[in-house]
Amino acid sequence: MSDTPDFHDLVGDDLTPEEELELARVDSLLRSVPRPATEIPGSLTQRVERIGTSTPLWTRRRVVLAVALAASLAALFFGVGRWVDQGFDARATVQMVPGKSAPDASGKIQLGDRDPKTGNWKIHLTVDGLPHLGGSNYYVLWLAKDGHYAGTCGTFDVSGRTTLDMTASYDLSEYDAWVISEAKDNAPWLLSAET
Amino acid sequence: MPAAMATTESDSRLIERVGRGDREAFEQLYKRFARPVFAMALRQLGDNGRAEDAAQETFAAVWRSAKSYKAERGTASAWLYAVARHAIIDRARQKRENVAEVPDEADGRAGPAERAEESWLTWRVHSALEFLPERERVVIELAYWSGLSQTEIASYLDVPLGTVKTRTRTGLARLSTLLEEVRA
Repeated sequence: MSDTPDFHDLVGDDLTPEEELELARVDSLLRSVPRPATEIPGSLTQRVERIGTSTPLWTRRRVVLAVALAASLAALFFGVGRWVDQGFDARATVQMVPGKSAPDASGKIQLGDRDPKTGNWKIHLTVDGLPHLGGSNYYVLWLAKDGHYAGTCGTFDVSGRTTLDMTASYDLSEYDAWVISEAKDNAPWLLSAET
Repeated sequence: MPAAMATTESDSRLIERVGRGDREAFEQLYKRFARPVFAMALRQLGDNGRAEDAAQETFAAVWRSAKSYKAERGTASAWLYAVARHAIIDRARQKRENVAEVPDEADGRAGPAERAEESWLTWRVHSALEFLPERERVVIELAYWSGLSQTEIASYLDVPLGTVKTRTRTGLARLSTLLEEVRA
């Protein structure tokens, strides 16, 4: 590059002939290659962090069980699907990782305090990048243990970036992962995260 | 083992660990090669978003296929370069399929062999830079690619001019060892 300082300006004039020869060769190499990347996009690092973290697909039997339980238990949980537009006092936040079937999706679970009277955990779920399903189709947020379906936290549909309040009455320490999938047979895991 | 690498785990060892599903090794490998991979993708694809896609696919392929890496067949850097190159070519092919009119490629640029050689040389130099201590890498990058004089670099980094020259010399000497195979 024409605006690169002279070699001797860079290294001084007090080198031995051997040193000068060695450093001049490197100097020549550096002048022959283009500028390195100035920085790595944060979004690339986030995408690479997700590699290898998605969990294998669940079995047909587990899906059927999950859908059945989701449908029945969803009605028992207060607040499922309620839209919220104000702040949430979170004691823990979990970022969800997209699976292969929804590489552009993102999700965040904020866990609030446990209601001392009912024992219900307050869950504030934010999802983005999932398509609106409509009709009688819906998504399920559920808990997994050892890769198996273990309990639902509610059902929902989305429209763009969607935020929902849910509750769950489980002892969360007994579960391994949060999972979002579509409530249908053989549906892949769309988003997941360790509890 | 080159001086700059004496205190760090070799690329080969890291890839072998990745092949056993070691995420910590994968993160180290990413830190070491993210810039060279992204820079190569950006140069060849000319677009930040597509370069990011290609870089992501490169590391996904590393994660998937690290088990197949055999140190006796070649250097780790060469293996990573090949993985990155394939990912970039795949991404470039997708672009061609999506573009109705293919631009005329009959220009004055170097032929494929020369370009491949330049690309490999650039990869080696950029990868070697990642092994330098941060303080040396910064002064070298500023000296060679920012257009700043040594005095301006000293002012920019808020260090004495002598420190800049010392770091430049030390960094170049370290690069010399790291790039021995390229110069040979």
